[in-house]
Amino acid sequence: MNALTSPDAFRVGTAADAPALSAGPPIIRFEAVGKSFPGRTGQDAVSALSGVDLDVPQGAILGVIGRSGAGKSTLIRLVNGLERATSGRILIDGEDVTSLTEAGWRARRRKTGMIFQHFNLLSSRTVFDNVALPLEIAGVGKAKIAAKVGRLLDLVGLADKSGRYPAELSGGQKQRVGIARALSTDPKVLLCDEATSALDPETTQSILALLKQVNRDLGLTILLITHEIPVIKEICDRVAVIEDGRIVEEGEVFDVFTRPKHATTARFVEAVTGVEVPAYLAGVIHAEPQPNDQAVIRITFTGENATAPVISRLTTTIGVDVNILAGRIDAIAGRPFGSLLVSVPAREPGLHAVLGALKSLELKAEVIGHVS
Amino acid sequence: MSPEIIRLIAQATADTLLMVAVAAGLGTLLGLPLGVFLATSKRGELFAAPALNAVLGTLVNATRSTPFIILVVAIIPFTRLIAGTSIGTNAAIVPLTVAATPFIARLIEGAIREVDQGLVEAARSMGATPVQIVRKVLVPEALPAIVLGLTLAVVSLLGFSAMVGAVGGGGLGDLGIRYGYQRFMPDVMAAVVAVLIVLVQTVQSLGDRLARRLNKRLRHA
Repeated sequence: MNALTSPDAFRVGTAADAPALSAGPPIIRFEAVGKSFPGRTGQDAVSALSGVDLDVPQGAILGVIGRSGAGKSTLIRLVNGLERATSGRILIDGEDVTSLTEAGWRARRRKTGMIFQHFNLLSSRTVFDNVALPLEIAGVGKAKIAAKVGRLLDLVGLADKSGRYPAELSGGQKQRVGIARALSTDPKVLLCDEATSALDPETTQSILALLKQVNRDLGLTILLITHEIPVIKEICDRVAVIEDGRIVEEGEVFDVFTRPKHATTARFVEAVTGVEVPAYLAGVIHAEPQPNDQAVIRITFTGENATAPVISRLTTTIGVDVNILAGRIDAIAGRPFGSLLVSVPAREPGLHAVLGALKSLELKAEVIGHVS
Repeated sequence: MSPEIIRLIAQATADTLLMVAVAAGLGTLLGLPLGVFLATSKRGELFAAPALNAVLGTLVNATRSTPFIILVVAIIPFTRLIAGTSIGTNAAIVPLTVAATPFIARLIEGAIREVDQGLVEAARSMGATPVQIVRKVLVPEALPAIVLGLTLAVVSLLGFSAMVGAVGGGGLGDLGIRYGYQRFMPDVMAAVVAVLIVLVQTVQSLGDRLARRLNKRLRHA
């Protein structure tokens, strides 16, 4: 299994980091946005996005997840005009940007930061000069640039690398330079294009922590795209699932993760929330109980009851022996969530009492089979 | 070798250096913008002008496919227009520049096309204008490759300059033909070849060293 799907590799926040969103109007709003690219001669246009409705609340971290080719890259590039929508409307900060000219977009881009999967740092410039580039482009004076870049390098922890060239830095350090560069013009919105996909899990964790920090400390709205569900789980407040150019599901991360409605969403979240039947059981599990069998129950914990001492309560109050087969308890968007695979004797009335007790704790429990 | 011959070799070396330096300088001055334009004007690029790109591309190819000795003769009226004469070292600079410009333009186009498109996208995402992208991203990032290309162009010009004796241009090639070959002076021929080898070696190693210093991609902590 890929190390990136390890649930602990991305742990950043705790319940204390739970998002506090202002309820104002969305800073970015997509209204029935479509984008198609002209086809090659004699072929039909290729549709990359269609009917996209999406709100990015001010101060939120919204993650768009989808496989490659789903339309994520196009979606994020519509926000800074690197791609233009072919239908629908996009509102940024209340302004309709759909019909902006190239010059209008340039002014707007100077207020929108962007970081990239492959960092896109200039190899010919030092760390300092890379961070200074957006300020030079905006025509900021030398003295102001020096002060600003110094502060940003402190913020991302690279003050000692100021005179180094990108080739002398590790991947994580390069992305820190990318983040400092993106923040140099004090943007309100940061766009992250698979910003951690080229990094190892540990470095990913530290970059995500930095993004969370700037989100919280600077009130920066972050729109990120990724194909890695752990990234969504670690730092996003909201998630949108994109498939074949359409948003198939959108909502708060905890809700979407714990109650996915769309099959694609379910497949994505399975990697971080699901518990599979262990291999040694998968071959012997059967539907109909035999005498003296054990019933295998999948218990899903969400919200407050996730931390209740469920198993010991079953043992003490009902007097059954509970055997834990597999499990995963985790935090999603700062709230506990888990699922547990246990077996208890399949005899009635014991089994009935167990299911009743779980139900009274408002936990989801289902008997998925029996083993001898 | 008599002092007279040594004086001739010194003069020829000075002529060659002058012709090559001026032609390379003018060729770069003209070839850099031309190369940048060729690299950025196809459909969908920064200065998209596909028709002009195609016309200039054809012109560049036409010039480059003409053998230099024929080019020298073919553009004599143009040379006379620019230099006032079609004979002599100064006049020879004209065909050398005409040959160098498209060559340098192609080398610079190639160097600029090697720059990662991700950097262009990053600069666009910062709100850079096309001119800023060229000045702050494309040319600085391509500089090591441009320096290597110019080194190659100078070495080629040293070779071309040997042919301008045909129109009365001086220089080492002319000296080698007239004294070394036509007057059976093998020592002059050997001296001319030796000087050319030293010049080429010097240019190449200076160019290599400069390109290496400019290239920040290979450094490691």
